[in-house]
Amino acid sequence: MSSSLTLAPAPPSEAAEEVRAQVRDFLAAELAAGTFTTHVDTWLSGVDPAFSRKLGERGWLGMTWPKEYGGHERTAMERYAVTEELLAAGAPVAAHWIADRQSGPNLLRYGTEAQRKEILPRIAAGECYFVIGMSEPDSGSDLASIRTRAVRNGDGDFVVNGAKVWTSNAHHSHYGIVLVRTGPPGEGPRGKHQGLTQLLVDLSLPGITINPIRILDGGHHFNEVVFDDAVVPGDMLLGEEGAGWHQVTAELAFERSGPERFLSTYPLLAEFARRAADSGDAAQLATLGRLSARLLALRQLSLRIAAALDRGELPDIPAALVKDVGTTFEADVAEEVRKVVEVPVSLDSPDPLGRALAEAQLHSPGYTLRGGTNEILRGIVARGLGLR
Amino acid sequence: MASDQDLVVETVQDVLAGHEPFALTADTAWDAGLWADLAEAGLTGVGLPEEAGGSGGELADAIAVVRTLASGAGAVPVAEQLLVAGPALLAAGLDLPDPAEPLTLAVAGAVTAAPSDDGDGPGRWTLTGTATDVAWAGVARHVAVLAAAPEGIDGAVLALVDAQGLATSDARNLAGEPRGSLVLAGAPASGALLTAEQAAVVRARYALARAVQLGAALERVLAWTVQYAGERQQFGRPLGKFQSVQMQLAQMAGEVTAVTALVDAAVHVLERDEDVVLAAAAAKVRAGAAVEVVARLAHQVHGAIGFTQEYRLHHLTRRLWSWRDEAGSELTWSRVLGAGLLSRGGDELWPALTRVV
Repeated sequence: MSSSLTLAPAPPSEAAEEVRAQVRDFLAAELAAGTFTTHVDTWLSGVDPAFSRKLGERGWLGMTWPKEYGGHERTAMERYAVTEELLAAGAPVAAHWIADRQSGPNLLRYGTEAQRKEILPRIAAGECYFVIGMSEPDSGSDLASIRTRAVRNGDGDFVVNGAKVWTSNAHHSHYGIVLVRTGPPGEGPRGKHQGLTQLLVDLSLPGITINPIRILDGGHHFNEVVFDDAVVPGDMLLGEEGAGWHQVTAELAFERSGPERFLSTYPLLAEFARRAADSGDAAQLATLGRLSARLLALRQLSLRIAAALDRGELPDIPAALVKDVGTTFEADVAEEVRKVVEVPVSLDSPDPLGRALAEAQLHSPGYTLRGGTNEILRGIVARGLGLR
Repeated sequence: MASDQDLVVETVQDVLAGHEPFALTADTAWDAGLWADLAEAGLTGVGLPEEAGGSGGELADAIAVVRTLASGAGAVPVAEQLLVAGPALLAAGLDLPDPAEPLTLAVAGAVTAAPSDDGDGPGRWTLTGTATDVAWAGVARHVAVLAAAPEGIDGAVLALVDAQGLATSDARNLAGEPRGSLVLAGAPASGALLTAEQAAVVRARYALARAVQLGAALERVLAWTVQYAGERQQFGRPLGKFQSVQMQLAQMAGEVTAVTALVDAAVHVLERDEDVVLAAAAAKVRAGAAVEVVARLAHQVHGAIGFTQEYRLHHLTRRLWSWRDEAGSELTWSRVLGAGLLSRGGDELWPALTRVV
């Protein structure tokens, strides 16, 4: 098969298994103490700054970053184990998730020394949260068509006008990495990729308004962030002016490759396992087996990506493939479980399985959209197959 | 990517290249000429220790032989011999037959084994009953039969039978590979008592062997389909330039890549000599599930030509459709996996999952 799609198997990591056990113990103690309750899709909806700070205190945020920036110089395999345990427990990780996953690594790669020194230690402490400023009302999958503009004023600062949407938890966040147009597009089909720039934007600046966009169940996770002559200091340029497209592509490899792309509905599967264990029903056991086989394959794919990150690679095509297969699985968990159980599905159900099914169902349209639709991802995979 | 098995793969490919591909017909149950050349090159003993009469080498070498022959649709019982029956006989302390003579495995719960000596450890047994769905029945010279233990004894008996002279039926699977029955009427055999756990490992090895074959064939079907989509022109451009076709090929690639990753991981479990039952179950279930998507889309992209006997595609898609149901169906193994993951209780799914591979 095409070598751009396949990665070498991940070598076993004792360090990862060690930290996995520590996280598992920590989560069991927190659950027992009642500091959180398990929910589906908590990396979008479970905002709990106190919990994020606890993770920071234990060294489980910014794990792979250099120590001089508050990091812990551990491997991507160790970070993988930590994130996987948190997701499997349905822990409230949404506050810091974006900052730890992609904004921090982006700053580490492209930020100035001052930006890194100022922000990275706070992310690693679980105190500083980020939003992704990519999509706009008129630019979804066609990201390069964004219209938010930044123009330098006489002081060299950026005056930003436009709007970003689907910014998860902007109302709890401190910064955004915002993709803006600073120059004209070039010629040709890929000309739109020119003239784009990433800015590091303090969301408390004057001229920035955050408006809620409620998802279909009424939950407030998404926002519209409106820029009305917001003045972003010139030293908040991230990376190179005009290199925004390249930088965003690298950021998306981090955004697309993690275990949150197949574990968003894991708490439902765990609840279903309790039901199958109680009933011993053959159809339920078979469904549990089928879904588990898919999950185990996804784990192996995702582990291979973590190992590739440790080798210094940026596997954007395998990441797109895992996200396509993984998010399809996330939605299928609810569909397959409901075929073999008889339980009223409601957020108010006294039955935890009925509640988990309800949460998984109501969040299901998001799985295969966020972070790049599966159609976009399959286009990237097709490129990996040599078809584009 | 380069690996230690490149030489093995090249050697098998060279042998394959010396034979007409796709040998199975209504009149031909296997490719005896291919087998003879593989045996001549020592490839029918790869991964089996030299002191037992094998050719030596690692499990990874045996996997490479099986994968290469599976993707080349080689009609020979190599997976059964190298990955299942051979290692199972050796693990049970039994002698390995000459690797130049084809050996297969029969999972035969309806066959009972009675001791014809004291029955303690490897010894002589008498087998009675009919073994059904035996891969390469009528072709294999030797059959390792996983039979029911005598009444009152837990576990199973693994016994080596000389298949010459046994009555066989001529059933075939969807790909035309022999899957007939063997009638054992007091057949003498050397054999050994296995615990239930040991018997489960033999069945798991068989499932993993089929998963390895499925994975290799799935990869080749994807490669053929990508190639075809690049060559076949419609509306003035290659099929592969149409977005709808690209989506189908990307979906196939997702399935194939997932299977490869899990099968590789399950093979590593076997290499590390850890408990392979749940890993094999997961690999077999995942590989079987991918067949539905990959075979369907491969035929859809190939169009009518892929539906013909003349064109090569069916030699692998018919094997995919067969292999997914053999050595334990998806239903069988998904139940084993589901129940196995809950063996420490319904609250322990996640720790169980992270232990499988």
